[in-house]
Amino acid sequence: MSQRGSMSFKEVAAKYPDVPRLVIRKIDAGLRGVAMTDRAMERARESNSVFEDEGEPGGERAPWKLGGGTFRDGSSFLGSDFTLIGPGRPALLRGGLVPYSLDIIGEKLMLVDGEEPVEEVYLDTIPDYYGKKTSRGTPMHHIVHSDSDCLKLNPHSYCQAWSEGQPCKFCFATGRRRGSQGPKTDADLEDIYETVSEALKEPGRWTEMHLVAGSDPAGATPYENEANSYIAVLKTLKRCFGGKGLPVRLVSSAFPEKTLVRLREAGAAIVGPNLEVWDEKLFEWICPFKAKYFGRQYWIDSLVAAVKVFGRGNVRTQWVGGAEMAQPYGFKTMDEAVASTLEGTEFLARHGVSARLNILRVRQDSAFYGQKQAQPSLEYCVKLSVGIRDIRRKYGLGVALSDYRSETTRPDVDLSRLDLPDVVA
Amino acid sequence: MASIAAATLPAEVISLLKDRASLKILATTDGQGNPHAVVKGSLTVQDDGLLVYREAMESSRANANMLRSVWYDKVVSVLVVGSNGHAYQIKGKAHRYVISGPIFKQHYLEARREEGPDSEVAGVWLIEPVEVRNETFSVRKEEEDKKHPHMRHFDRASVSGVAATTETPTLGLGVI
Repeated sequence: MSQRGSMSFKEVAAKYPDVPRLVIRKIDAGLRGVAMTDRAMERARESNSVFEDEGEPGGERAPWKLGGGTFRDGSSFLGSDFTLIGPGRPALLRGGLVPYSLDIIGEKLMLVDGEEPVEEVYLDTIPDYYGKKTSRGTPMHHIVHSDSDCLKLNPHSYCQAWSEGQPCKFCFATGRRRGSQGPKTDADLEDIYETVSEALKEPGRWTEMHLVAGSDPAGATPYENEANSYIAVLKTLKRCFGGKGLPVRLVSSAFPEKTLVRLREAGAAIVGPNLEVWDEKLFEWICPFKAKYFGRQYWIDSLVAAVKVFGRGNVRTQWVGGAEMAQPYGFKTMDEAVASTLEGTEFLARHGVSARLNILRVRQDSAFYGQKQAQPSLEYCVKLSVGIRDIRRKYGLGVALSDYRSETTRPDVDLSRLDLPDVVA
Repeated sequence: MASIAAATLPAEVISLLKDRASLKILATTDGQGNPHAVVKGSLTVQDDGLLVYREAMESSRANANMLRSVWYDKVVSVLVVGSNGHAYQIKGKAHRYVISGPIFKQHYLEARREEGPDSEVAGVWLIEPVEVRNETFSVRKEEEDKKHPHMRHFDRASVSGVAATTETPTLGLGVI
């Protein structure tokens, strides 16, 4: 089975009239993927919205990328998390779901469902720094990756979970398996400095920076090596931003409180160790490396401690929505699965942690793909999004940074846009 | 009152919207229907007939209400008042929120020029007009007098011919 449940977009939209159709559409396109037609690709080229990379050693990088796209509500569409199918980019999702297409209808670039044009899509341009090189000749787009209005970079390029053969079962970050061990060298950090400084010259383009290093639990204290990688990059970024605060979010492992203080002092604004799944037994099965280093309770304690250091709303975690229904150990019904995730969301919200949804995509190279796990249904994603949004609303927790402007697979965050006047962070 | 298609706003409305000296007020509603009105000095009209303004604050109530308009097809209202006292209400629907690309960049740089280096533009809203109504007080008064000839006090000049006892304002805004 490729997807649990069989309700179509129209059926789900009719059943949940309070959920904006644009948000439901975005979820549906994320689950099914979007195929670029030749005409759409030509339009992207004409509008300087596609960057056709020369490739890189190892071929991990896709042969082309879009500068991003938005729906008419401004929400990001076609971001890097999106499954975009086209020349040199085959469908990577498990199952036989029919993707949407992106095509030119009349003069407009339209998202098309079957034969029906359903939404206009507006392409963004490729950032100005793409195609430029640092003084030592490194292509800048290899150092800092853009995703809509977010700059993303890796403080190091390996994940010990892959090295130990215990990645999270949904993870498809295959590049992390090949990444060289060790932190950035001084020359690497200079490349980062030059690239970010160049990117910042483009007016009105960036609102966020997102650092994600793979897990490295080694060091005198848990994950100390990983923290040191973040701190080296944060110090470099401070040079780019002068003495001003850094709008930087870390997608990191879970750190002890003293390490969290070091990260805050180095300039991090938001931290986000991802629990991925709330249920204890499923956490151990789906995230064996996190369970080993250093167990679910350690990760939860770290999230709670981080609120003391970074403040309410500035600590995030994510649920990989749908992973909790992976078989044979996952929940058998939608209601049980939603209830479990919402229990975790509420527990964390009581402590000031903002949990967010990231919809499971069963991608090639993940353990789930090999196991033929199912993608979550559209209705399941809608129910979970609304539930998580409602809990954040109840506790007055916001979603600043990594919001609708750059995220394409977090519908609960889209829904929380209406709550922004009444929440913190 | 007239239903209109985009790009067919009356010439005087376009002129008032493009006049930086005009007062422009955006009125929206929240999820419970409560009204919210704010001044939007940057509001103007594009050549394609869409109204456009810069939203400085991502988390403002006006911004949330505009999002509600684009999500749920809700009507918003713009009142434009010229320095000559002429006033028009334009009802419309949020057409698009622009956060990137050439339109955004143009408005972003404009804000920097006009408001200085700490100016912010969270996004640029485009509004499609669907109805326009002349709210100039003298025009509205004439319309209502014709429709409701008996709804007036006896001592008005137009009823009894007696001289008014107090000075009557000529042009000004009436809330009707």
